[in-house]
Amino acid sequence: MWYNKGVDLLTLTVTARESAGQPYTLVIISGEADVTNREDLRTVLDEEVAQRPSTMILDLAGLRFMDSSALHVILQANRALDRQGGMMALVAPQEAVAKMLRLTTADRLVPVFGTVEDAAAG
Amino acid sequence: MSTEPSPVPDAMTTLTFTTDLSAVRAMVASHARQAGLSAARVIDLVLAVSEVAANTFRHARSAGTLDIWHDADEIVCQITDDGFISDPLVGTRRPAVDAMGGHGLWLVNQVCDRVDLRSDQTGTTIRLHMFLRTS
Repeated sequence: MWYNKGVDLLTLTVTARESAGQPYTLVIISGEADVTNREDLRTVLDEEVAQRPSTMILDLAGLRFMDSSALHVILQANRALDRQGGMMALVAPQEAVAKMLRLTTADRLVPVFGTVEDAAAG
Repeated sequence: MSTEPSPVPDAMTTLTFTTDLSAVRAMVASHARQAGLSAARVIDLVLAVSEVAANTFRHARSAGTLDIWHDADEIVCQITDDGFISDPLVGTRRPAVDAMGGHGLWLVNQVCDRVDLRSDQTGTTIRLHMFLRTS
């Protein structure tokens, strides 16, 4: 269960994983996410939220840039996940992405971890 | 009464954009680094210009224009499009974290040293200033 979407600016890879017997969904978001490709991001996140995962981890280590409209897509997915009892976590944002999370205080809404392993361990 | 903006100098870099905001960001980063802006403030300026260019992408009916210039005191990024912003206080109030939109110009005001916005029925010009000596 994995696929890549977009060949240039934004790459999205989804894998199903397990940590200590607990399944989680890992979404690797790489490149640059902004208003021009946020619908690609939305499509992938909506599809995964619809699978009702208990934990969804977004690995941002390869994401060079994220604007506020891409952040909104992530926050909408977080809200949908929260409503159905799931949890979202963000991993390893680069400086520009971390700045966006900080300025909007989104980092107080969604927990941020240094590694996927830490996020999976909760 | 707002003062008239200072004239645009001859030596500047110009880029016309529609959907390629990545090119907009790359040009801002490159110019800002050359101008001597610190790494952290390059990130801020790129973020700000990208948010303004995103507004152009969403609301303007034609391409936007980005002009960048700098002198010893500051680097200026000017984004011009044919859109009209009717709210003169846009971006001065903090939106809720999960508000659907409205963050863009608020963020711009948080990270830039000075923001000039002029808008009428013929279009919108936004100038983002970063002071070089404080960085």
